[in-house]
Amino acid sequence: MLYYLIVCRSLTYAQRTAAALERAGITARVLRSPKSISGEGCSHSVKISQRNLPDSLRVLQRVGLTPKRVYITAGDGSYQEVAL
Amino acid sequence: MIYLDSAATTLQKPESVAVASAWAINHLASPGRGGHWPAMAAAEKAFACREEAARLFHVGNSERVVFTSNATHGLNIAIKTLARPGSRVVVSGYEHNAVTRPLHALGVDLRVARSPLFEPEAALDAFRREIERGADLVVCTHVSNAFGFILPIEDIAALCRERGVPLIVDASQSAGCLPLDFEALGAAFMAMPGHKGLYGPQGTGLLLCGIDPAPLLEGGTGSESRRQTMPDFLPDRLEAGTHNIAGIAGLLEGLRFLERRGVEHIAAQEARLIRQIGEDARRIPGVEVFLSHDSAAQAGVMSFRISGRDCEEVGEDLGGRGFALRAGLHCAPLAHESAGTLDTGTVRASVSVFNTSREAEQFIQTLRAVAAES
Repeated sequence: MLYYLIVCRSLTYAQRTAAALERAGITARVLRSPKSISGEGCSHSVKISQRNLPDSLRVLQRVGLTPKRVYITAGDGSYQEVAL
Repeated sequence: MIYLDSAATTLQKPESVAVASAWAINHLASPGRGGHWPAMAAAEKAFACREEAARLFHVGNSERVVFTSNATHGLNIAIKTLARPGSRVVVSGYEHNAVTRPLHALGVDLRVARSPLFEPEAALDAFRREIERGADLVVCTHVSNAFGFILPIEDIAALCRERGVPLIVDASQSAGCLPLDFEALGAAFMAMPGHKGLYGPQGTGLLLCGIDPAPLLEGGTGSESRRQTMPDFLPDRLEAGTHNIAGIAGLLEGLRFLERRGVEHIAAQEARLIRQIGEDARRIPGVEVFLSHDSAAQAGVMSFRISGRDCEEVGEDLGGRGFALRAGLHCAPLAHESAGTLDTGTVRASVSVFNTSREAEQFIQTLRAVAAES
């Protein structure tokens, strides 16, 4: 199943991001970023389903939360950065 | 034992605090340090606590709620972010050593806005005078831990905003006991313990950050691990090392208790109790009570002394009769200097929402007996 990962600068930022999405009715789960996309080392991401990305970005813009980067899963298990 | 030392730490807590802390010890791991359930559940607990604190103290962004081990820890971060050797720092005449010792250690140019006890307007005038002389920083307690004097923090904050001087608020005696609006104050920082008016466990505290702070400790944060510098974002920038998650879980329950009870309700109850104790104590021959006539200037802490008696002996005597009070200088020699009690110290009674009017009556009966034997 394809999904997006919104990489966040901190765990708390990821939690704020997930909370804002959940308040808007979008299922969101905080998890540790896969090593390949974690940037400067450990980070946390918010996982959302493929169909929810546009709505999620709108919600986050409305509440002033800026995703650091967004990735989509590829069929081979790797991640590709999404241009926002 | 009737406990009247809540200005040091609240002993009676909501039952849910100990339950939550005990549960955390057995079930929660280190937030941000793993993707497994115990770590993620710990992260959720910490986040819930930040959010609850942000709501209670009006902090727009819960990332700016930082966990500390006590108010002193938070004050050290705040002071060492903003003060340098030689900085002109204005403080009230009622500061705790948690403020004055770090300032002394830094070698700042310390200027005390001296004012008489229980005179808020004089306190504000003193701050105005000192700030006009030139100030790089103002540090002010909201409530004197020795006398319960409520300083006019909103007016002092307005003065600081007007003059562009950063303000650090020591809310050790007011957090959870008086309504606080961090954003309205526009303070650079506000530090508070978790174990007093917030009814959390000891070893907890909060620092609310209005500006970007400098870290006091460096270490692991579970973020940006390849970098050898601390993250530039909150709360990670200030939270090196493993969190006190058992304490945080208990603190969350303390905050929820405050939300249920209402801080205004608690403030009114504590004000009523301290006035009952103070007014009744005042009628006892030989007892000198430090209590404001103005309720708006008096929190749930008050001091007294008995003519001809050493305050520590009075504290000991009361302790032996089942009453827990603190005597001495209360780590606030500056406050005692301002009140004229530096040489004698005082005995301090301080209440929490769990004290009752009946307990206050019992205390007064005992104090009457102690004073009569003096």
